[in-house]
Amino acid sequence: MSFFIKKISRRTIVQALIALPALSLFRTLPDADASHADPNRADPTRADLNEIVEINGWILKRSDLA
Amino acid sequence: MIFDSYDAFRAANFTAKVCILGSGPAGTTIARKLGAAGIPVVVLEAGSREFSDESQDFYRGTTVGDFYFDLDVTRLRFMGGSSNHWAGWCRVLDKQDFEPKAWAPDTGWPIRRSDIEPYLPEVHDILELPGFRPDVPVSDDIRWVQLIKSPAVRFGEKFADELDKSGNIAVVLNTYATELAGDGKRVTGARLWSNGQDAGAFSADYFIVCTGGLENSRLLLWSNQRSNGGVVPNATALGRYWMEHPTFEGGNAILADYGEFEVDAVNEVFFSPTLAAMERLQIMNFGIRLIETPYPGVKSLIADLACTAPDMAEWMSAKLSQNLRCAAQLYVAWEQAPLASNRIELSTTDVDHAGVPRIELHWKKSELEHRTLLEGLRLFGTTLIEKNLGRVRIADWITNGSDYPTNDETAGHHHMGGTRMGTDVTKSVVDANCKVHGMDNLYVGGSSVFCTSGECNPTTTITALACRLGDHLAKVVAV
Repeated sequence: MSFFIKKISRRTIVQALIALPALSLFRTLPDADASHADPNRADPTRADLNEIVEINGWILKRSDLA
Repeated sequence: MIFDSYDAFRAANFTAKVCILGSGPAGTTIARKLGAAGIPVVVLEAGSREFSDESQDFYRGTTVGDFYFDLDVTRLRFMGGSSNHWAGWCRVLDKQDFEPKAWAPDTGWPIRRSDIEPYLPEVHDILELPGFRPDVPVSDDIRWVQLIKSPAVRFGEKFADELDKSGNIAVVLNTYATELAGDGKRVTGARLWSNGQDAGAFSADYFIVCTGGLENSRLLLWSNQRSNGGVVPNATALGRYWMEHPTFEGGNAILADYGEFEVDAVNEVFFSPTLAAMERLQIMNFGIRLIETPYPGVKSLIADLACTAPDMAEWMSAKLSQNLRCAAQLYVAWEQAPLASNRIELSTTDVDHAGVPRIELHWKKSELEHRTLLEGLRLFGTTLIEKNLGRVRIADWITNGSDYPTNDETAGHHHMGGTRMGTDVTKSVVDANCKVHGMDNLYVGGSSVFCTSGECNPTTTITALACRLGDHLAKVVAV
């Protein structure tokens, strides 16, 4: 661990920690079994992708997001 | 006939039945209608044929509340009035602008749009307009509306020859009606100021006040004060419910196909809400004007978008590299809620050269209007997404709830209200025929009679109302 900390600057670690909450934006992988479990239920992932969101003043579709 | 001084007019021994104060779009239109009906009419114009600093100085005043233009800059005091700096944008108020809005007090007119529609062919001739196309629905919430960029008729220039040759119309320049006298039933005369001095009293059977959306209130307030209520017997609303079209840059849009809506002469395009959207969100009418974003602005938008929506930023970047337009600035002008607290008062400390108190304008935008701006941009942004037309970014100062910027357009130089039309004498000054409540021979022309402002430039509606008033007066005066 001490070797790891010595090799990576404190600045890089802080930047990584700041970026952590944003990682959830990338996690849009569909739940493969969801639609099979209940075919009458709409795919929640697809619905979310069309959701309109307001970020930093931009009015966007969730699917626009990084 | 056009006279350059009141002395010259007096020497001509012209006897007028109707006296019109002001030669702007309303005054000139009414005079032409009456002249054509064979009724002798005099038009008293305070200024001369050309702009002068001396004349403009009579328009100085102060404002209290939100930032507003200098009152001697936002209007013009010479033949043709403020049409001399009109940009030329034309559209008639929407049908729904005449109807009451349940969520906004004191809205609704005593007339409907259909009451002025018969005059639109005449208005098209006067303002040199092609026909309007109907609004195009873009979504359930947004309409693509048309504002025609007209040749911006200068009424003084366009009609000077016609007025000069008319045997029924006398235009008297450099002649300022400082006050009207009245007995609570009739106007008995006007006090005049000409060549830098008092020019005595003038009388006619009928008086039509068409001095502009600020000056109409000033003249009537001062006249009423001098005659102890003899000119506007029901004066509770006099000077009140004054309105403008606040206008600010509200953000930007990136567009999939910039040319899709581009039809206006100056490559600008306008969008407004549907009545259903206004009702649902309980907001006022508004107009969003798209103007192409300059290159540095597009680059800044791309940088802003890169962190949030990189694919979109990449798409914009590709468009930019092909020199294709893909972004627009969004200028929003909106309807102000009519509030009695927005008002014209007479200054208690400052008078003009003729001794008439100057205007103290009290003007403030309301919370409902900020909500209209914010929700309007959201509606537009949502529509662009739903129709796959683009994306919108709302300016930070709007989403943060910060103060309105003072380096923006601010407003449209559209002065409305102050002598509004209505049936309730405590909330209006004139009736549906533009006659001052309780007075037999006093009428008002121009945008000061507007009950609500809608979102569009007022000149087209002013001219239509003037045609209607001209026809009405021709019948009344002929009796």
